[in-house]
Amino acid sequence: MSKMSSLFNTKKKKIYSLDDEKFYLAMKENCSFHYEHNKKYKELLDGFGFKPSDINSYEDLAKIPFIPTLYFKHHNLLSLKNSKYIVKATSSGTSGQNVSIIGFTLGDLLRGWNMVRRVFSYHHLWSLKPHRYIIFGYQPHKGNDKAIAKTAWGFTFVTPALSKDYAIRWVDGGYKVDLDNLEKKLIKYSKGKAPVRTLGFPAYTYFLLEQMKAKGIKLKLPKGSILSLGGGWKSFYKEKVDKQTFYDLAYEVLGIDDKHIFEFFGAVEHPILYTDCRYHHFHIPNYARVIIRDVETLEPVKPGQPGLINLLTPMCLGAPLLSVMTDDIGILHEETCPCGEKSMYLEILGRSGIEDIKTCAAGAEDLLKGEKS
Amino acid sequence: MILYKGEVYPDGKQEELISSLEGDMLETLQNNRTLTYNDVIDACDKLYQRVMNHEFDNIVLPLLEMANMPYSTFERYAKYFSKEGLLKKIDIELGDLKNGELDLDEENTRHYEPLGILFHIAAGNVDLLPAYSVVEGLLVGNINILKLPTGDNGMSIRLLQELIKESPILKDYIYVFDVPSTEVETIKQLANLADATIVWGGDMAQKAARTFVDIHSSIISWGHKISFTYVDKNVTDEELKALCESICATNQLFCSSSQGIYVNTDDINELKALAERILPLFAETSKRMGTLPLTMKAKNSLLIYNEKLEGNADKVFMKDGVSIIVKEDNKLELSFLFQNIWIKPLKKEDIIKVLKPNKNLLQTVSINKLIEGKKEISSLLAKAGATRITALGDNSRMLAGESHDGEYALRRYIRVVETIK
Repeated sequence: MSKMSSLFNTKKKKIYSLDDEKFYLAMKENCSFHYEHNKKYKELLDGFGFKPSDINSYEDLAKIPFIPTLYFKHHNLLSLKNSKYIVKATSSGTSGQNVSIIGFTLGDLLRGWNMVRRVFSYHHLWSLKPHRYIIFGYQPHKGNDKAIAKTAWGFTFVTPALSKDYAIRWVDGGYKVDLDNLEKKLIKYSKGKAPVRTLGFPAYTYFLLEQMKAKGIKLKLPKGSILSLGGGWKSFYKEKVDKQTFYDLAYEVLGIDDKHIFEFFGAVEHPILYTDCRYHHFHIPNYARVIIRDVETLEPVKPGQPGLINLLTPMCLGAPLLSVMTDDIGILHEETCPCGEKSMYLEILGRSGIEDIKTCAAGAEDLLKGEKS
Repeated sequence: MILYKGEVYPDGKQEELISSLEGDMLETLQNNRTLTYNDVIDACDKLYQRVMNHEFDNIVLPLLEMANMPYSTFERYAKYFSKEGLLKKIDIELGDLKNGELDLDEENTRHYEPLGILFHIAAGNVDLLPAYSVVEGLLVGNINILKLPTGDNGMSIRLLQELIKESPILKDYIYVFDVPSTEVETIKQLANLADATIVWGGDMAQKAARTFVDIHSSIISWGHKISFTYVDKNVTDEELKALCESICATNQLFCSSSQGIYVNTDDINELKALAERILPLFAETSKRMGTLPLTMKAKNSLLIYNEKLEGNADKVFMKDGVSIIVKEDNKLELSFLFQNIWIKPLKKEDIIKVLKPNKNLLQTVSINKLIEGKKEISSLLAKAGATRITALGDNSRMLAGESHDGEYALRRYIRVVETIK
C-alpha cells in the first residue's frame, strides 16, 4: 500500500492523534508523483528551486511551494489523462469562469471514502435508522458539478433516507431558492417519528430559522435529529452571526440543542472532512495539516497568531492539492480542548479582503468581489 | 426610512406615499414660488456653521475614524458646503445665467429653469454623497427624489432633515425612499416621474438604468473613473512622498486615486530604479499613516505571490505590506488597490494611442512639476480624456468650483429657456 493510502487508513481512534512521520512520508510521495507527472507543477516547483527530494523531515513540509486557490481558478493543473478521472468537481464560485476544476481518480476517492467513513463513525453519524433529509443547498442536477452539491447529495446516504428536500431547487430549467417549502416540510416532519437531518449553507439555514422565528413557529424535531452546516457563508458574509446566536436560534425554533449541531469544513481544492468536536472546534485530522502564514511575509507563524490558512494533504493524485493556500484568515489553537482530542484546532476568522468596501474607482468593485481576480 | 415633505415615515408606508407623490410634486411646481439658490445656500451655510461648531461631532468623529480621515481634511471637504464654497460653484457653473433673465436680443430674453424633477440613484461609496447629489439638484431649483444606496446608515436622511429645519421651504423639494435595488418596478415608477435620472455608480448601475429609464426621460451618469500618475526622471522624492501619502490616505478607492505611474521612457531599468526609489518612501508612509487593514494586506500578499507564480517574480517590489509591480506593457489598468501600484513605460509619443481608447474613463492625472515638455504633455493627457491634471499628491483634492469628471453638474440639471419680451 502506498504511504498516502496508509495515511488514509488511520484508525478511527487515531484520527485526531497526529502521526507526523507518516504524514510527511505520504506528502513526499505525493509531491514526487506530481513532480514527475505534471509538467506545470514541475515548472512551478523549479521556479522556486524546490525539488521533492528537499523534503527530508516533517518540518520541511512548510517549504513546499504552496499554490493559491486563485491559481487553480486560472490554470488547468490536472496531473493525469482525462480517462483516469472518475469525478470532476468545481468550486462554488459565483461567476462561471472563476472556478477551480479538480479531478479525482479512483484511488483519490477510495482514500476520501476511507476518511469519510471513519470520521462519521468517530462522530457517531452513521445510523441504520431511516432519516428525513433537508438540504440547504442545491438539488442534484446533471449540469451541476459543484463539489458542494455532490457532497450534500453524498451525505443523504449516511443513513437510509425517507425523503430528501432541497433549499435550492431545479425549477423550469434554473435554480431557485425555496425556503418556504422547507418550512412546510419541517413543520410536517416535526409531527412524525423519523429523525431529521439538515445539511448545507449556514446562511440559508439561518435565514429559514429567522423566518420561522418571526412567524412564532416553535418546533420540537424528533429525537436524534441533527442540524449540520457546511459550505461557509459565501456572499452572505455580512449576515454572518456568531455561533452561539445560531445555536440559540436553532434550539428556539427546532428544539435542537448544540450537542446535535455539527459543522463541516472543506474545499474542493482541499477535500478533507473537518468536523467540529463537541465544543465546536475544528481539530486537525491526521489526513491533513494546517500552516498559518503571516499575511505579509507568508512565513509560518506560531500557534495563536492570525494569518492566512495554508492547507496540506497528500490525498490526491488527480491534481497537486498537497499544499494549497486559501484566502481565508484563521488561527491555530494549541490550548487543550475539553473534548480530549490532542490535535490543534483551527478557527476561521474570515476571508481576506473585505466585501463591502465602498469605491468609485472603475472596475474596483469587481476586483474586490473576486470576480476579476 | 422614508423622508416625505419633511416628515420621516417607516418603509411600510412606501406604496401609499409613492401613490401620492406625482400629485404632490405637480402641485409644488404649479403653486410654489421658484426655489432660488439663495434659499439653498442659506440652509447649507447655517448647517455648515453648526457642523464647524462641533454640534454634530458625535456623528462626524466616528465616521472620520472609520474612513481614517483627519479632521483637517474633513474641514476642507465641509467648506464645499459653506456660503463661500457654494457661491463660487454657482458663479463658475452657471456663469451669466445665475443673474436671472438676460437679453438674447432685442425681442427675446433667456434664463435657466430647473429640469423639474430629478431622480437620484445614489451610490454608497461616500457617506455624504447621496445628500450631496440632492443639494446639487436643489441649488438650481429641482424637486429631488432620492433612492438611498444599499446599506445607507441613515446619514442622508438626517442631513436632509437638518437642511429642511434650516429652510422649511425645502420640504416640498426633497423625497427620500429606501427602495432596494431589487424592487425594479418601484424604481421604474420613480424614474418615470422624473425629467432625468441621475445615476451614480459603476458599469452595472449604469447599464441597469438604461434598461428602466423611459425613452422621454434622460439619464445623467456619474460613472466610475480611473486615475494615475505620469512622470519623468525629474520627479523629486518630495513629490513621490506626496503621491504615497495620497495613495495611503484613500487606499486607491476613489476615482481620483492614482492606480499607478507611467514613466516617459521605454527603458525598463529606469522603471525598476524608480520602483526602488519609491519603495522605502511608500513603506514608511504606510506605516506612519496606518491605513492598511490586515485582511487587505493578506489579499495583496496572495495576489503578488500569484504574480510570482505567473512568472513576474523579478518585477515585484514589496516591503511591509506595500507593493510595486513593474510591468513592460502600457495598458491602463486598475492596481490591486490598498497600497499596491504599477509602474509602466509610456513615451509621450504614445499617450493618445494608449489612453484615448479608454473612453470616458479617465479622470485625474498627477504629473511632476519639472516634467520635460510640461505643456505638451498636459495637452496630450487632456486630449486623451483626462479631466484634471494635478501635482503629485493632489489626485484626490477637492476645490470649490472644480468640475466633476469634466462636467458642471448644475449645467446638467437645468434647461435654458428663451422667452419673447
